[in-house]
Amino acid sequence: MITLKNINKYYHQGNQRFHVLHDISIEIDRGELVAIIGESGSGKSTLINIIGFLDDDFEGTYFYQDHPIHDYTRKQFSGLRNQNVGFVFQNFKLLRESTVADNVALPLLYAGKSRKEIGARVSEVLNQVGLAGYEQQLPKNMSGGQQQRVSIARAISTHPKFLIADEPTGALDSETSQEIMNLFKSLNQNEGTTIIMVTHDPHVAEQCERVIKIIDGRVISDSKEGEKRAGN
Amino acid sequence: MQVIELFKTAIQSLKANKKRSFLTIIGIMIGIAAVIAILGIGDGITQTMYDKFGNNAKQGQQTTEIAFYPDNLTSSTYGFTQTEVDNIKTQFGGEIKRVQIERETDNLSTQAQIGDTTKRTNVSLLKKPTNKISLISGKNFTKNNLTAGQASALMSDKVAKKQYGTAQNALGTTVTVNDVTYNIIGVYKAQGQYTGDGNQNPYGADILVPDSLYYHGESATQGNTLKLTLSQGVNASHISRKVAKYLKKNGPARNQGSYEYIDMEKALKQFSSEMSIITTFISFIAAISLFIAGIGVMNMMYISVSERTQEIGIRLAVGATPFNIMMQFLVEAVILTVTGGLLGFIGGAGLAHLLAPLLSNAIGGAGIHIHAHISMNAFLLAFGTSAAVGLIFGILPARQAANKNLIDILR
Repeated sequence: MITLKNINKYYHQGNQRFHVLHDISIEIDRGELVAIIGESGSGKSTLINIIGFLDDDFEGTYFYQDHPIHDYTRKQFSGLRNQNVGFVFQNFKLLRESTVADNVALPLLYAGKSRKEIGARVSEVLNQVGLAGYEQQLPKNMSGGQQQRVSIARAISTHPKFLIADEPTGALDSETSQEIMNLFKSLNQNEGTTIIMVTHDPHVAEQCERVIKIIDGRVISDSKEGEKRAGN
Repeated sequence: MQVIELFKTAIQSLKANKKRSFLTIIGIMIGIAAVIAILGIGDGITQTMYDKFGNNAKQGQQTTEIAFYPDNLTSSTYGFTQTEVDNIKTQFGGEIKRVQIERETDNLSTQAQIGDTTKRTNVSLLKKPTNKISLISGKNFTKNNLTAGQASALMSDKVAKKQYGTAQNALGTTVTVNDVTYNIIGVYKAQGQYTGDGNQNPYGADILVPDSLYYHGESATQGNTLKLTLSQGVNASHISRKVAKYLKKNGPARNQGSYEYIDMEKALKQFSSEMSIITTFISFIAAISLFIAGIGVMNMMYISVSERTQEIGIRLAVGATPFNIMMQFLVEAVILTVTGGLLGFIGGAGLAHLLAPLLSNAIGGAGIHIHAHISMNAFLLAFGTSAAVGLIFGILPARQAANKNLIDILR
């Protein structure tokens, strides 16, 4: 589904140029649960932003379901994001002054859905993440685990093809982290949602079927490649 | 995204920041109110002048006047007689509905016998009782006095004192004007001969008598003012000028004075164009405050954009296009300014209605009542200008919001 070839990424800071990603080539298939691990500053967030169509400023080729993403404009990116990707962030990124229902409805609004359709879908996904009946709550009055569930509900509301999660458990205690991981796993197994997450919690990473390790912008190990090699 | 959702979102964001939204609205409101108030009063003054002096002053009728000015002020020649009236009727019958010699009722200069002396006196005729004079002694006219044909009159204290020593003494005496002898029933305080706005003051006369008795109920057959009532739709000024020209050639008294048509309409047009120049000029100055308010809007939107960077990032991440974001902020700015504009329109209209009577008082003329005139154009102006201010001063902050780098925001 996702095919990255020779991705290079530079950051410019004044006259200096930082080479953040070096020749990254990854393929991810439908239904995978992938963890990208690495130390901070290794470039894993940069990589996940490129995969999730948040960053269009890179070199190399990126084919998503045969779309040449590297040729797309900013506006096309918006539509692509809306239709295909759900985002889960470390610090939830919810609109704190809006209700849970409004937050979850946001991607549906930008998809051009009507109020009526949206209401039904919002209840459905809130039920799915175990927050049935929380529609009129404000995120600022909820616990971290609950907020992360809201953001997961928002991410899956448009039936995205894959989820991008950037340190989804980074701000949560281990017990809540486990609840969130269980939710991800059930989405992956029951709904067949492809999930790509960045983490540096080894406990989280070991629950994913595939682990890609990045150091200094280079892929050091990929458990799937390892299996292939082992199979050969 | 659906348009209605765009408005809902914008209103929600504005509500989240009530104080700031309110202050911005106030700014726009003051700007618009200033412009509307000035336009309202300016239009009001012009309108008042047209109502008072225009050809259409009487509802549904066009009337004009032609006056005769004798060279010798004391001459007893009249400019118009019944013959003239008939001549004009046959000459201009198509355009002119009615020709009438105006019955003069104010300050007629005539011989009057007061007590045992006869002298030239100013007499005014009354059709209705008036409260514009202040009685010193005796009684004022009642409705009955005036309609029943009783021969009673009022005298000014100036004449009374001269003739009888005190005002009291004048009561019960008689005065004879035009072969009718009137009983003096009251004495009033003498007034100036002209009102504050330069018109003749009928109550400045020496003696007031009932109109019905003086003319013996007949319409005037001679006089110095000719009143024309014109058919609807004809050019009143043009026809009246033609009549005046005709009279200059054929009028019976053309050698003893001059016939003049005073084209009020022309003078009014000039007045109204001068008025509109002044109004526009003052409005321009008022518009400066609108400009400053616009900068206030811009300032607020810039602050709002930088404060809500996270929100913009979230919206972009879940699939809002840059255009969606720009529209959201633009709609917010326009809602602010249009709300301010409509409130300003109401405020400005109210202010104009409050100020107009004060202005009439300041001018002092009892005859002039200036009413503020708020037109539909003023409403459209308020609405249009405020919306335009929102668009103009909102577009830059909105574009800045739309062009934010998503990666920088989310990091």
